[in-house]
Amino acid sequence: MLRVPLTRAVLAQSQRAGVLATSKRMQSKAPEKVEVFIDDQPVMVLPGTTVLQAAAQVGIEIPRFCYHERLAVAGNCRMCLVEVEKSPKPVAACAMPVMKGWRIKTNSEMTRRAREGVMEFLLANHPLDCPICDQGGECDLQDQAMSFGSDRSRFTDIDHAGKRAVEDKDIGPLIKTTMTRCIHCTRCIRFASEVAGVDDLGTTGRGNDMQVGTYVEKLFLSEISGNVIDLCPVGALTNKPYSFVARPWEIRRIDSIDVLDALGSNITVNTRTGEVLRILPRENEDINEEWLSDKSRFACDGLKRQRLITPMLRKPDGELEAVEWETALIGVAQAVKNAGSKVAAVAGSFVDAEQLVAVKDLLNRLGSELLCTEQKFPTSDGLSGIDFRSNYLLNSSIAACEDADLVLLVGTNPRYEAPLLNTRLRKGYVHKELDVAVIGPQIDLSYRHEHLGSNASIIQDIVSGKHPFAKRLKSAKRPLIIVGANALSRNDGKAFLSSLHSFANQLKPENSDWKVWNVLQTNASQVAALDIGYKPGVDEVIAAGPKVLFLLGADNEAINKDNIPKDCFVVYLGHHGDNGAPLSHAILPGAAYTEKQATYVNTEGRAQQTLIAITPPGMAREDWKIIRALSEVIGTSLPYDNLDEIRDRLEDIAPHLVRYGRLEENNFFAQAEQLAKSQSVAFQGEIDVKQKSLADFYMTDSITRASPTMAKCVQAIKKGQGRAYTY
Amino acid sequence: MSKLIKNAVNFFGVQQLLRLGADVKQNGGIIKSIKKLYRMDSIKAGRLVGQDKYGNKYYENPHFFFGRNRWVEYAEYKNLEYDATQVPAEWFGWLHYRTDAPPYADIAKLQTKKYKWMMDHSENATGTKDAYFPYSTVNAKFTAWDPKKK
Amino acid sequence: MALAIKRISSIPKQQLAALSVPLTKKYQIRGNATQVSAPPPQTKTKFGNLSDQDRIFTNLYGRHDWRLKGALKRGDWYKTKEILEKGVDWILNEMKASGLRGRGGAGFPTGMKWSFMNKPSDGRPKYLVVNADEGEPGTCKDREIMRHDPHKLIEGCLIAGRAMGARAAYIYIRGEFYNEASNMQIAIAEAYQAGLIGKNACNSGYDFDVFMHRGAGAYICGEETALIESLEGKQGKPRLKPPFPADVGVFGCPTTVSNVETVAVAPTICRRGGVWFASFGRTRNSGTKLFNISGHVNNPCTVEEEMSIPLKELIERHCGGVRGGWDNLLGIIPGGSSTPIIPKDVCSEAIMDFDGLVACQTSLGTAAIIVMDKSTDVIKAIARLIAFYKHESCGQCTPCREGVSWMNKVMTRFVTGNARPEEIDMLWEVSKQIEGHSICALGDGAAWPVQGLIRHFRPEIENRMKEFKKREALEN
Repeated sequence: MLRVPLTRAVLAQSQRAGVLATSKRMQSKAPEKVEVFIDDQPVMVLPGTTVLQAAAQVGIEIPRFCYHERLAVAGNCRMCLVEVEKSPKPVAACAMPVMKGWRIKTNSEMTRRAREGVMEFLLANHPLDCPICDQGGECDLQDQAMSFGSDRSRFTDIDHAGKRAVEDKDIGPLIKTTMTRCIHCTRCIRFASEVAGVDDLGTTGRGNDMQVGTYVEKLFLSEISGNVIDLCPVGALTNKPYSFVARPWEIRRIDSIDVLDALGSNITVNTRTGEVLRILPRENEDINEEWLSDKSRFACDGLKRQRLITPMLRKPDGELEAVEWETALIGVAQAVKNAGSKVAAVAGSFVDAEQLVAVKDLLNRLGSELLCTEQKFPTSDGLSGIDFRSNYLLNSSIAACEDADLVLLVGTNPRYEAPLLNTRLRKGYVHKELDVAVIGPQIDLSYRHEHLGSNASIIQDIVSGKHPFAKRLKSAKRPLIIVGANALSRNDGKAFLSSLHSFANQLKPENSDWKVWNVLQTNASQVAALDIGYKPGVDEVIAAGPKVLFLLGADNEAINKDNIPKDCFVVYLGHHGDNGAPLSHAILPGAAYTEKQATYVNTEGRAQQTLIAITPPGMAREDWKIIRALSEVIGTSLPYDNLDEIRDRLEDIAPHLVRYGRLEENNFFAQAEQLAKSQSVAFQGEIDVKQKSLADFYMTDSITRASPTMAKCVQAIKKGQGRAYTY
Repeated sequence: MSKLIKNAVNFFGVQQLLRLGADVKQNGGIIKSIKKLYRMDSIKAGRLVGQDKYGNKYYENPHFFFGRNRWVEYAEYKNLEYDATQVPAEWFGWLHYRTDAPPYADIAKLQTKKYKWMMDHSENATGTKDAYFPYSTVNAKFTAWDPKKK
Repeated sequence: MALAIKRISSIPKQQLAALSVPLTKKYQIRGNATQVSAPPPQTKTKFGNLSDQDRIFTNLYGRHDWRLKGALKRGDWYKTKEILEKGVDWILNEMKASGLRGRGGAGFPTGMKWSFMNKPSDGRPKYLVVNADEGEPGTCKDREIMRHDPHKLIEGCLIAGRAMGARAAYIYIRGEFYNEASNMQIAIAEAYQAGLIGKNACNSGYDFDVFMHRGAGAYICGEETALIESLEGKQGKPRLKPPFPADVGVFGCPTTVSNVETVAVAPTICRRGGVWFASFGRTRNSGTKLFNISGHVNNPCTVEEEMSIPLKELIERHCGGVRGGWDNLLGIIPGGSSTPIIPKDVCSEAIMDFDGLVACQTSLGTAAIIVMDKSTDVIKAIARLIAFYKHESCGQCTPCREGVSWMNKVMTRFVTGNARPEEIDMLWEVSKQIEGHSICALGDGAAWPVQGLIRHFRPEIENRMKEFKKREALEN
């Protein structure tokens, strides 16, 4: 069933064969298109196109269960059988390449009878539990039974033998299984082994007793396991936290952007009556294809816990007390006025560009330049690593990563820092000729890779050409160097930046547009903050000793009890009571990413906007509006009153911030290198990554730390570690 | 002659005037009649059939056609705050022609034993502070951060 | 839906695009080949009674030594080197001239099949896989070869391998065949020691290895692509075709899967000439064949006979006739359990070859003849076969997985008669819904026995239902 290694072999070979064939045929000619007829409509397709793809080109959809365009063809559901003229048997459209002149009939008597037969067989053992099935309303089997099935049952069961019953499997706290409903399309198995790279799922038994499951009792340990829920055409695999919550027709769907990692995966937020019920992926070929990481999908219940729903001020006795907005704003304004220009702000990981701009404008008007992000990035006096965007972006773009032929990962574990970037790399590894090498701790990337070591001195060796891997990088046609943002935030991050960046510029990729130097950010807000002009790292701010400090959702403990400036009035502006809020003297409740229309820039520098799915809870408000209101109370009104106006301001600062969905070309690599080169190079110690195993993946920020589902995942993995059949 | 007078009386509606006079008299004078008109949009008078324990008075006047010949005048202290649910169950039957016997004369009602558990009549509290509100079975959509909880 | 359509148009094409080029070529080859080999006109009219000197399998009954010494005595490995040296084209021509059709059941012309492998190499090695997973109920021909004449098979592997330029042969042997596997293994070892196979096989300068792999006893592993999967160490589940094994076979390399008997007759054909082989049987059905006759005959046996022998003659000559005389015959399954049953009147006329049995709406299959006399409960017999197929369905594709178990449920009730007459038509339709809709031929093989039963024994089924009703009425 699992044919990935085979696919790999075959593809490699057939690519070779294809080259041979084309060279033999005629040197100049591109592969000729062949004409086929779908329901008498002529269509020209490339040889090798399947019947199903050819039909799609003329807008005819052939029903299918097992076929999925991003997975290997299984051809086992037989729903896509269509008649081909002069062929005695119907052919499986999903697997059969078209031949010249074929006349395919997608609606003939034979085709319809074949579909009806398959439908009848599938329903013969499918339970009649649609009323209690969570897939009801978005079930392929339901829909296709309506469209292609028979209108009556011929099934008699005199012996009351019943339908096939299969024991449910416990594969973790995220996926609920009802295996009796399974129609054995094997999509989940193919996803697990091809995309996720986890051979946990498979079939056991044969014939009517065949079961899909984990061979032994164990969890489905993958960071992108939730996608099998979307893939499952029936209700066999459903969303466990969402079970029995809502029907699809009750739900409002709002397109949005995920902010739990720096990729900016496209999502659809499903809400009902002001409550986020679930999050589904939205297709975007450039970013997440149609997958979504488990954290982004299941952490949405964290948006309902530990929320800041009312402004608070610290009473003289040291307790935080809920107050009205007016009181809170006046209190904060008073402190700001008293502080003069000694005002600072620290941006956390979920801050949107509007808020960043509003805070920056306010502080600048107060005469302060003390704006920074929590995460460090190498900078030094005068010559800043953030002067050029190309220094801190994933320049080659996410989609291009799968086309690379040699990837060097430095101090990053993309599997958990950006799971969907990792699936891209895995895709390149499985289907193309991509090889990966890692400098950092031993990690499991779900595909085979070369581990060069974890000592930072290896980088020195590679850069100086001593290391054998340097030769490979130099001879590679499309090399990539991907450096983790956490590696760059080390004290010797400067060394990483300057040496690796100049080394990357020395490499000569086949195509001169190919960008070798890439940084994988971990925070959704980091790129926008650096674009707008925030300085990375809090050291400068602390050293300046501000009198008022704005924490913009800064929960990652860069500012903590020990280093917080003395006699400083701390204002927390954010949506979760996590690490930042207890430090503060005033709390201004903001909106989470599902509750505002806001701009985020992902790690490749692509600006995207979230939309309002629900209103912020309680008295919480959109963040930039709070700053706008505060500015008025302080007496220096910011010049924008609505979203359009603040976006005009965004455009003034950096036009790419409002070009939503577009990827700006990066350049000035040489200049960036020149600036970086002047830095002294000194590596020290071992390179580490924060997220090494799946248990580290789930709870990393204020939203996921508040999520009960994520907590359950961590518990389940910890519990499972003692069992015999886990890692 | 008398017939002529009768016709004339009918023609000029003297009888109506006479009845108006009688009604006013029964209502206890012009002022009280105006007050009643203000309160009930009617000054019609009839035979007092009975009074319930809440002070509502029940009248009957066969002069009016069926459907309007029995009515209730709500207790004075209710002023304008009267409504139909103030009529207790025992009078409800008579008022709506289910029975012709008023409660004190209704043998079936008189024979019914009064038990302890029988509730007193209560009027509809909708719109008042005593109104019934079903409690919510829905979980709170958000749980707020509590700064005191560490 | 619009989304889905959009998705389809942006499909990663590499999964299938690669296969199309060799595929197109292959179809062309197929077309040409059929044009070239026009059948010679039919002259012979009487078939059967094969003389002893024309038998290929001279140690079928194990009366002689099966090891290398005995095999050499019987003429195996005689001038194998010369055959190899005549070259690929000569061997293929002899095979084509012999008109040999695959003995595994489908009856695809062997010469043509082997010639598919003769494409210019793209660097991948080629393999011959010998299908010795003889699981079809009633069939017992390959085991006799492997038990008593293993050197014929090994020599056949070498010649067939040479004809298709294969690097090695894998003999996938049924797990239950313990003694056969052990004899095979000894024979392979003998052949290696004698330098007949291995490096510079038979001093011909040609390197050829023979490996034996024992299966684990699944019927479906006799299907060629399932066999390949199983050989690769995966679950034995048939692959989709295309790509055919000749393009992507075992370990992703071009592969031909051939039945034991097909391979084992190849050396003799090469030695005695394709014309000799073609002189037996009708045109397009030529050669000799091992017939396995089991069931209600006086003397069940495996016998090598000429193709196109009348069924009745075969049974009377070699098996001592049907138990209780020909008139006591109820029906015959002529080609292993998956072929439709034919009743007595059809049996009297049937000719045992590919075309002859197709004319009777059945199939030669593996030529495993199961004879049933009038004491047989034919419904129960077919129900038992369906239970077998239900048990052996791999469960990969829907029609076979769900359909066969449904047929099994209905057939179980037919045995007692606890069903309505309309259900016979329904069963017929269900069998038609399975036939031709599944990935491999197991679905077809499960549907045909039911279709044969309904076609010829419908009154019997209806009578049983009537009797059941009557009995039920009496009991109540």
